[in-house]
Amino acid sequence: MPAEIKDWAGVLKDPDLKNKYVEAVRNNDGEVGAFLSFDADDPQGRDIPEGRLSGIPVAVKDNIAVRGRPLTCGSRILADLTAPYTATAVGRLEAEGARVVGKTNLDEFGMGSSNENSALQATVNPWNHDRVPGGSSGGSAAAVASGSVPLALGSDTGGSVRQPASFCGVYGLKPTYGVISRYGLTAYASSLDVVGCISSDIGLLESAFHAMAARDERDQSSVDLQPAGESGKRVMMLRVEDGVLDPEVALSYESAAESLRALGYAVEQADLPSLNLVVPAYYTIATAEASANLARYNGIRYGHAPAFSENPVELMRQARHEGFGDEVKLRILLGTYVLRSGFQDQYYGRAQKIRTLIRKELAGVFRQHDFILMPTFPTQAFGRGDAGMDDYRQRLADVFTCLSNLTGTPALAVPTAPAAGLPTGVQLLAPAFAEDRLFGIAREIAGDFPVMLPEGALDIRSLS
Amino acid sequence: MSPHEKYDVFIGLEIHIHLKTDSKMFCSCRAHYGDDPNTNVCPVCLGYPGTLPQANEKALELGYLVARALKCTTSGKTSFARKNYFYPDMPKNYQISQFEDPVGVSGTMEADLGTSGVRAIRIHDVHLEEDAGKMIHAGDVSLLDFNRAGYPLLEIVTEPDLRSGEETEAFLREFQRLVRYLGVSDGNMDEGSMKCDANISINRKGKGLGTKVELKNMNSPRFVRLALNHEVERQAAVLESGGTLVQETRLWNENRDITESMRRKEAADDYRYFPEPDMPPFVPGEGFMKRVEAALVELPLARKHRLAGEYSLTAEQAEFIHDEAETADFFEASVKAGGSPRNIAAWLSSDVRKLLNQRDTNLADSSLSASRLAALLGLIDNGVISGKIAKKVLEKVFDEDRDPEAIVEEEGLAQISNPDELAAIVETVLAEHSGVADAVRDGDMKQRGWLMGQVMRASDGKAAPELSGRILDEKLGL
Repeated sequence: MPAEIKDWAGVLKDPDLKNKYVEAVRNNDGEVGAFLSFDADDPQGRDIPEGRLSGIPVAVKDNIAVRGRPLTCGSRILADLTAPYTATAVGRLEAEGARVVGKTNLDEFGMGSSNENSALQATVNPWNHDRVPGGSSGGSAAAVASGSVPLALGSDTGGSVRQPASFCGVYGLKPTYGVISRYGLTAYASSLDVVGCISSDIGLLESAFHAMAARDERDQSSVDLQPAGESGKRVMMLRVEDGVLDPEVALSYESAAESLRALGYAVEQADLPSLNLVVPAYYTIATAEASANLARYNGIRYGHAPAFSENPVELMRQARHEGFGDEVKLRILLGTYVLRSGFQDQYYGRAQKIRTLIRKELAGVFRQHDFILMPTFPTQAFGRGDAGMDDYRQRLADVFTCLSNLTGTPALAVPTAPAAGLPTGVQLLAPAFAEDRLFGIAREIAGDFPVMLPEGALDIRSLS
Repeated sequence: MSPHEKYDVFIGLEIHIHLKTDSKMFCSCRAHYGDDPNTNVCPVCLGYPGTLPQANEKALELGYLVARALKCTTSGKTSFARKNYFYPDMPKNYQISQFEDPVGVSGTMEADLGTSGVRAIRIHDVHLEEDAGKMIHAGDVSLLDFNRAGYPLLEIVTEPDLRSGEETEAFLREFQRLVRYLGVSDGNMDEGSMKCDANISINRKGKGLGTKVELKNMNSPRFVRLALNHEVERQAAVLESGGTLVQETRLWNENRDITESMRRKEAADDYRYFPEPDMPPFVPGEGFMKRVEAALVELPLARKHRLAGEYSLTAEQAEFIHDEAETADFFEASVKAGGSPRNIAAWLSSDVRKLLNQRDTNLADSSLSASRLAALLGLIDNGVISGKIAKKVLEKVFDEDRDPEAIVEEEGLAQISNPDELAAIVETVLAEHSGVADAVRDGDMKQRGWLMGQVMRASDGKAAPELSGRILDEKLGL
């Protein structure tokens, strides 16, 4: 069993324990490479307040601002940037006594599902160092799975919290859009981005979520958590064609359904007719918004700038040429393409129509069901480098996770039993604002699928 | 032959005004001119990763106010959009602007266009956006100041309803008055709180719009007039010589009094507008619209016409009085305090204006109040002081912050209008200058004025002019 909240609470408050902890993480993370920066001392030198997360160390994906700490976004263009302010989500965790100890690796600007698009560092899966940790919040998932922290923040635009959580065998929550402020989360695709959290402990995940969930004046798209209504036990299980899922994943999917049935849930198989439109709609909207969101990085006010340029326009061009990786450039180009005047109806406008259609379809499902059970990703953690999955297949595989981003509804990646030395997991979806419903069902299913950390993971209890 | 005889001229404007708000459009930084470079900045207006815009409700209110004043259909749900283009002084490399649901559309603005009279110019739309920073090229370096970045801007786009440089200048001056009356902007083109780009096309009469040329870099309404008139001549000359016009952007060169081509526009710029995902549409509530309605004032043109009619002012007087709302308010308050409208108008446009200029102040800050001006003019009307003494008293009101009656009373400035007293003064003068007096009696009337001057001098200017004149004539036997 992983350490619980009470085991972690003292680690930053006792100076001796803290030193041991810092030392242990440095050793532990050496090969995993989850952290881009690690420093257990608060850059602002503040005392730790009492609260429901008092003394809990937190890792934060390096696209979320924490004042005085780096904010690289996994990109060369921001490799030297220090955040001048703190994200609202982080501030709210800190107000409950949590303390940021490090910033974690990611696919550049959140674009990718392997962490192999990080321009700064390689992160491996703590279960098997030849495998990827998933992405884009791969560093956060790996930091939790390797026992370095009990809780980490990530961001989820198309599955970036849930897929790495699944690859690393921990919980990953993608909350309802707007419930957690995006202020301080580096924008990839503003209408899809959410701050999510990853934990090895469902109780801690729940506490962290409730600490962060509230409207924020600084994010005008944010909303307060609203009552989601009573939940029954009706589960729609997405029918997945044979051969789509790897055998281990298919097996875990079946076993999760079995477990739910045994717990008294009515599990009914059904299709989502518009599911095949999810990936094209997602990539059209995401890249369109990304093309504008990433325009600000031009080497002028901060970030990488060329040593010399003839004029300001040349400076911007060169900074972006040198500073961005290929995947980022590809998505900016795609986004610029789909937004061209005269082509918007064909691409961006059409994608928005599909989005509305999918929203309606899902709303219909939730009138009949309290949950949707579906896979998180068709495979377990795939191999690193050439042994991995090609880019095109990675994008198609986003189908199960993108859905909730397009609809703005919450989804939780739940670990199931490891198979063939790697974690497996499933995904549970609920209507907007029904996060508590997801925590509840995850607790129940945990009786059959207790969370496990890989061999060699840091056990905080061994330090005291 | 003037090109206007052969060609129709179509001029439309894109006017930008800086809105008078305490803070910027999307963050809480101070919106203020003249501070040290890069001091009114924060992560939001510098476009740091992760920051988000927060719409300034005051700016929205001022935007709706202008839209209402321009008789636009106001939006029940206004939304922002991203206008994408790269420029070194633009922090996000997109400008948050409005595209699909601007605050107002389809309005009109009436303006007195001079010789062509009062006309309603159609307004295409009124929309909010943010300003960029400022780039200064100094030798071989370029410097950037982001104090202005995120400053709230309101853009007013007219239909191509103006016909000449003169009309356009008059329209712009009317527009400046309007935004100042509403208190939404300083409307100063030379200080940059108002900017105006123009598009102009000419075509043979009756043929409709021609090839559109955009004009920029005109830093005053006068330059707008000069640039447009130059452009009419230039375009007519091109057509006369059998040439064709190209769609392009031209800059006004104020040193050479000509327009110069900046860039050709074969295709329209593609700004790839799309709805701003960071801000939900703004739905003005009842309270918001009430505040907007409460801020609507009588517009300058209406006021000019009313002042002229209600107070029988001359056209020049009405023009002067209505130009600034402060002057018009002062005028009407003075009338209410009992002054004669034409006298007040005359004094405001001459002596009062002169003193304000000399002392580099304005009516609100000076110690002249409407009741003091009315009282001063009352003293003249009642024969207590002469107009000449009144000017002295006015100066004292300005410099000593006292009531005119008190000044006249305490300093003994009241006119001498007792006939016996005046007769004594006249006799003394005639006795002293008996030679001159005799000459006048012999018919040298030119010297009579000189004697009158001596009377005024002997009385320290207080002799009631008309009565003393009559007494003088009597004594001279005229």
